Amino acid sequence: MAAFSVRAMQIELSNLSKSYGTAPVLRDVKLTLQGGQVHALMGENGAGKSTLIRVLAGVTPADSIDLTIDGRAVNLRSAADAADLGLRFVHQELNIVPQLTVAENIGLSRPTPTRLGLIDWGKLNTRATAALARFGATHIDPRAQAGSLGTGDRILIVLAGLLADETPARVLVMDEPTAALTHAEADRLFAVIAELKAQGAAVLYVSHRMEEVMQIADRVTVLRDGLVAMTTPTGTTTKEAVIHAMTGRTLTHVYPPRRGTIHSGNVLEVDELSAGPLHGISFSLRHGETLGIAGLENAGQSALLQAILGAVPRRGAVRLAGNLAPASPASAWAAGMAYVPRERRREGLMLGRGITPNITLPHLAAHAWHGIFSSAKAERDTATRLGAQVALKYDRVDQNVATLSGGNQQKIVFARAIASDPRLVLLDEPTRGVDVGARADIYALIAGLGAKGAGVLMTSSDLPELIGLCDRIAVLRDGTIGCIIPTDDLTPARLLSLIYGDTTIKDAS
Amino acid sequence: MTIRPILGALAIGLLATAATAQQRVAVITPYLAQPGTQFYIDGFEAAASPDWDINVIDTAGDIAAVISRIEDAVTQNVDAIVINVDPAQVSAGLQTAMEAGIPVVGMDAGMSDMLATNVTSNGYAMAAETSVYVANRLAGAGNVVMFVFDPFPPVQIRGAIADAVFANHPDINVIARVTPDVQDGGIADSRAQMEALLAANPEPGSINAVWAAWDQPALGALQAIEDAGRADEGIVIVGMDANPQAREAIAAGGNFEASMAQDFAGIGAAAADAVARLLAGETIAQPVIYVPTVLITTANVDE
Amino acid sequence: MTHLRRYGTLIGFVGILLFFWWELPDTFLTQGNLLNISRQVSMLAVVAFVMTVVMAMGDFDLSVGSMASLAGVVAGVSFAAGYPIWVGVGAALLAGLAGGLFNGFLVSVLRILPFVATLGTLTVFSGLAFLASDGRTISGANIPDAFSQFARLRVEMLGLPMPSLTLLAIAVLVMVWVVLEQTPYGRRLYAIGGNMEAARLAGTRIVKLRLTAFAFTGVGAAIAGLMYASRVASANPTQGDGLMLDAIAAVFLGMTMSDEGEPRVLGTLVGVLILAVLDNGLSQMSVDSYVREILIGGIILMAVASGSLGGLRRR
Repeated sequence: MAAFSVRAMQIELSNLSKSYGTAPVLRDVKLTLQGGQVHALMGENGAGKSTLIRVLAGVTPADSIDLTIDGRAVNLRSAADAADLGLRFVHQELNIVPQLTVAENIGLSRPTPTRLGLIDWGKLNTRATAALARFGATHIDPRAQAGSLGTGDRILIVLAGLLADETPARVLVMDEPTAALTHAEADRLFAVIAELKAQGAAVLYVSHRMEEVMQIADRVTVLRDGLVAMTTPTGTTTKEAVIHAMTGRTLTHVYPPRRGTIHSGNVLEVDELSAGPLHGISFSLRHGETLGIAGLENAGQSALLQAILGAVPRRGAVRLAGNLAPASPASAWAAGMAYVPRERRREGLMLGRGITPNITLPHLAAHAWHGIFSSAKAERDTATRLGAQVALKYDRVDQNVATLSGGNQQKIVFARAIASDPRLVLLDEPTRGVDVGARADIYALIAGLGAKGAGVLMTSSDLPELIGLCDRIAVLRDGTIGCIIPTDDLTPARLLSLIYGDTTIKDAS
Repeated sequence: MTIRPILGALAIGLLATAATAQQRVAVITPYLAQPGTQFYIDGFEAAASPDWDINVIDTAGDIAAVISRIEDAVTQNVDAIVINVDPAQVSAGLQTAMEAGIPVVGMDAGMSDMLATNVTSNGYAMAAETSVYVANRLAGAGNVVMFVFDPFPPVQIRGAIADAVFANHPDINVIARVTPDVQDGGIADSRAQMEALLAANPEPGSINAVWAAWDQPALGALQAIEDAGRADEGIVIVGMDANPQAREAIAAGGNFEASMAQDFAGIGAAAADAVARLLAGETIAQPVIYVPTVLITTANVDE
Repeated sequence: MTHLRRYGTLIGFVGILLFFWWELPDTFLTQGNLLNISRQVSMLAVVAFVMTVVMAMGDFDLSVGSMASLAGVVAGVSFAAGYPIWVGVGAALLAGLAGGLFNGFLVSVLRILPFVATLGTLTVFSGLAFLASDGRTISGANIPDAFSQFARLRVEMLGLPMPSLTLLAIAVLVMVWVVLEQTPYGRRLYAIGGNMEAARLAGTRIVKLRLTAFAFTGVGAAIAGLMYASRVASANPTQGDGLMLDAIAAVFLGMTMSDEGEPRVLGTLVGVLILAVLDNGLSQMSVDSYVREILIGGIILMAVASGSLGGLRRR
């Protein structure tokens, strides 16, 4: 039995527009999906891919959208509509309950079969086995606990659950399914996709990985700044053309010119550092220099910063201004490091607390009489002074930070980092979820750090931003530094091809 | 937001203060949830004057709260206070009452010079009665095993009296004076100790009686004797307090022959009587008022 | 609405005071009764104050009650063995320190959830108390007179005969207030409560802070246990057990009064006083003890619910 009931159907999405406030995210996007084909959707972060998926899932209402299936116009206003139309989604965050068995997870969205009021395990397991067999995933035991399986098999469980639904599936949308997979797992997934394709599925495949897109997709559409920059069969295009389509946008931000000079001494020396996915990392950073760290998503950028901070276990030597830095965040801050984490809300802020304690968090002893008795006034004064320095917009200094915008929240984490005139500042995605206006302020702050002689080590998935702010960029590949290149004359396209590690890609610009 | 509970309390307050101009008696106990305590209270309330406004306060095992509630009762200037807790532990509260001139009656509480009087059973008399029962059953001659617990004063009294009674019979021989481990009330360890004694004295008739200072060791000894197959040797067992298990054993007509029953309701009633006398302006000379106890045997166990 | 949320509990407290004043005009708002209340609640207050320290970190210590019992028993056993008072008191405080450090070790080094860790030590401390005391109450001649007289002591201060236990509780209050509100140490505890991961990444020494905070609470619980033992002139392996739930209730009542719903020791003080005043007033009004418990539980729920209702409305 095939999981897909409709063969050779055609789904046309057109006139799709969506704005947040005055900022357009999707502009008149057109996309055609064909049964039995894999359609890749590519684009840099912020190009509009996630919004497009959320609109298709019926989670985010579009400002305008026309959707036809085999020429017949249909409505897509809610998640229920999307489900009824046969749209199925494999999100990056897999909806798996690790405590339940594989069969229970596959049957999660449907009524559990029961006998005499008790779970009919036999029937449940048979159904699950059948659902997995539909695309040849017979190696998974339906009785196993879902949490005991690897990420690759978890995706297959999610797929089996989606395709076992009562309404027939038409379109399968997969958002970066290979991001956390090993090569072997990815290959198994590609085999499954090929099987589904043969059964007539239309697959919309979102990925950053050039190689696999070229390998499995029939067509590719590139989004850039909310517009369709390119849509073409993969057979008639090249990697260079795709990269050019992705990065060839006009710069929307003007980066501040670098001020001050890079001094000769090293503020940071990293020697043979290993931590988590990283190994054999060695580099140095000079006073006043800004070094960017680039790589595919989850290539270990955050782990590198946290390892230097000492927040995760590490091996190898980290020297701050010539002295070995102890591996603990407390010692790191005390020695003159400062850190802006990637997940602002989870790792950075005390949401529900006021602005002052959030800014002075690492500097409490400095605001206390002989380090013993805190001075609320001194702390408030610091918060006020730094708030002005980072151009923070707020009503009262005791305002709950949860009520501030993302950009202002980020400025608070910045204010915390610069409060003690650090020698080395670690910035993990400093403009993540920050609006355009606040971005400019943050760029100025980063440039200011360099001008004051501090070393800055920053990650960003926004390549023009990385090039615009950094003096040099280190590219992380396969858990180690692939190369370190100066940013003079570096183009985003060239950087992207270095990130892909594909030496066959010629400079597209 | 917190106004509603205040209204609730207001309603309750009105009900509670509806009866005024009566004589107020506060009965304070940390043990109301324990089964025996309710008998005292029932006996007290049954014998109380209808003119009294009785407030029974339970502190749910909290001894310090008993002191606090005595202080509150003194603040309220009640006419009398009744407690059933070791007076030594609440002497801070008793002192406050004494300074305020409010009489405190102990209801099986323990002796204290800060109590107007304490109503209880006579432990000396109870022990005398069961040990004499044993001596008489043995016709003044035989080997006796004693189960005692000297660390706890009320039980130590019982042992001392039994010692005296047995010592007064030259032909009665106390072959063991056992202090069982009381973590579980004393049944299990008493049984183990008795098993060892039976093994050490294998001759039939080498043990003639077991005298226990409370029921649990007696029950443990009974189990040991029955399990050893020596129930037909006529070993006499007596306990004390006549708890339900002991009454059952006595009613069964086996080796367990007698125990002493305290009259809890009677203690409550006598405490009410003492309060009445104090409220009438009388001074009670006796620091302890004893309420009669009853020897329970097959003859009266069903009453 | 926000004001009602924040001041609701305080207004309720004042309401309760006025109500008892109205109902008991001659005996409630008198110097003697108020001093009585302060002494009656002193042990609970000490436990609640130090409970505030761990709750500032978003943690709990369920073992404070059995630690209080254990401390009393340790002192009682030392007294019974003929040691001088200072040895018994010192041993009890050391037991509190050791128990608290053990709690802190479980929570911060082994990273066991505080609820589970201190539930475990609750049972362990209780078992130790039974073991040390043989399950008996140590009282009478075994407890030195000077020790039990301490709880009855009054010190003339500001023209008032202040009970010694009250003064001790005030001393603990001042200390906890200074530590929590006026030192970087206390502010860091609040940071841990605000976002432990953020605090760690911002250079807060989480392990050390949690370890010492639990030790602080253990010593406080031991102090409360000694106060209790002195007040009842005896030590028994369960006598402090009831303090834990009331202490947590008092902290929760206090939390309804702070800006962001974090525990503040002055809020805890109000929570403690609400519980104590209700106990004293309702018992003076001859309200049934069980009805009293229902009322107290109801008031806690009411106060906390009003807080979260206010929160809902802001959302």
